[in-house]
Amino acid sequence: MTAVWSVALITFKEGIKNRIIFGIFIIALLLFAATTILTTLFMRDIVKVAVDLSLSTVSFAGLLTLLFIGVNLFGKDLDKRTIYMVISRPVSRSQYLIGKFLGIVLLSFVVVAFLGILSAIPVILSKRFYYYPEARFDWWIYFIAVIYIFIKLAIVSAIITLFASFTSNSFIALVLSLVAYIIGQSTESVRGLLASQVEKIDVSPILSYMVEIAYYVFPNISAFDLKTQAAHGLSINPSYIIWTALYAIFYMTIAVVIGTLAFKRREFP
Amino acid sequence: MQRSLIIPIFAISLALIGSAFTIDKVSSERTELRQKEGVGLIMPSAVAQIIALEFKGLFADIVFSRAMTYYGGKLIRKEEPTDEEWNWIYRNMDVATDLDHYFLDPYYFGAMNLAWGANKVREANALLEKASQYRDWDWTIPFYLGFNHFYFFQDNERAAFYLMKAAKRPGSINLLPTLAARLSYQGKKTENAIIFLQEMLKKTEDKNVRWIYERRLTALKAILFLERAMAAYHERFKKQPEKLDELIAKGVISELPQDPYGGEFYIDKDGSIKTTSEMR
Repeated sequence: MTAVWSVALITFKEGIKNRIIFGIFIIALLLFAATTILTTLFMRDIVKVAVDLSLSTVSFAGLLTLLFIGVNLFGKDLDKRTIYMVISRPVSRSQYLIGKFLGIVLLSFVVVAFLGILSAIPVILSKRFYYYPEARFDWWIYFIAVIYIFIKLAIVSAIITLFASFTSNSFIALVLSLVAYIIGQSTESVRGLLASQVEKIDVSPILSYMVEIAYYVFPNISAFDLKTQAAHGLSINPSYIIWTALYAIFYMTIAVVIGTLAFKRREFP
Repeated sequence: MQRSLIIPIFAISLALIGSAFTIDKVSSERTELRQKEGVGLIMPSAVAQIIALEFKGLFADIVFSRAMTYYGGKLIRKEEPTDEEWNWIYRNMDVATDLDHYFLDPYYFGAMNLAWGANKVREANALLEKASQYRDWDWTIPFYLGFNHFYFFQDNERAAFYLMKAAKRPGSINLLPTLAARLSYQGKKTENAIIFLQEMLKKTEDKNVRWIYERRLTALKAILFLERAMAAYHERFKKQPEKLDELIAKGVISELPQDPYGGEFYIDKDGSIKTTSEMR
């Protein structure tokens, strides 16, 4: 366990030292500033627009961090051949991979925690600016949505870990993870679309079969998107939280375990 | 000066002048192009929902504000949107609210402008029905629906139904049940409309919408004034006047109120007060 933890810490430190992270933070801060200005263009649901923009910024910054820094943290050891230094130490390959995974999860946690707290500022400002009496908003739901952004990023981290375990360079891992993220984000809508329009349009059975497979193979990332709930203060059932959290844990376990199996069999050039 | 610098400096200054000149041209060309472009394509909700990924709320904001700024541009240029453009606005509001079912602004903006500006009350009500289904805590939505049924469709029964629905939702004004009851008395149309509009005005802060309401309220108050004068005339002379001028001639009123829409009031065949502007 200490071996896993030390790899995780090293990965985290390497990630947080990366210069790209400053760029991402600056983009996020600019977007928060823009939120305050953009909300004034709307009529009544101003707090909703502010919540949309704030949470989207947190999520977007987290994704950028994972895709630009997280993927590279895996690739670095292989590209710079420092992997030989690591595997010659008393750290097993699976410990190394799990450590890397936990390291980037920690990185996304810090990013989400920092930006999540900052993201409340534009929301507070917009609430002071104008709050429509029939609008609903609840800080609890807002912060649950922030936590769910972190869970979503943890799942994306697991996918990155899986792809980085067998691809030969980090660019391929990046592309695959991005594609998996997009599929995971849209399968639910596509599946819903096919289900609802079955009578109107002939959908080939192969297509609906493929969509069904994709739905089970790729993570249903849209389940972790609670931005609408946060924006309108819609209550979330405790059962929803329990089942989605369990689903996330199981999915991450599957992805990381498959990753370690692939990584064990891997030969380094 | 070093000789090697002369050419780059010359090139930069030339390009600066060129770009300053061309950016002006580009912006005027763009304005022209965008005016010609008119209403753009509508992305079907199903497609929008898929490509918006996790940013559906943000997408809804963008779709809504695009249509709103297009309409705003028309207003500033003092142009009346065409039928096609109104349909475009309606469909944009529909897509925006498909992306975020609870987003009030497109419902509100669409319903107000479609009903009052475009006389497309059916579309306005379709938006409000959708809003009422999702925003099931918001009493103002069935209230607006009730008003539209009462005022534009003269369907008092439906209007009373929506008002009672609104009255059951939290935070609604106490007046609603009374208003719903009053709707069963056919005769009080103008008075009821005034009560409705006064309540709607209280909930409105947007200048544009307030202006629409206030203008209609002034017209309705003028009509109510004339209706009462007609009743007084009937009481005194036991017959209906044929022209409004008779009211002045017989000393019931001292002058005719002005129509804020620029028309003139007259007595219709059925004995009700109408205006030549048709309040449009």
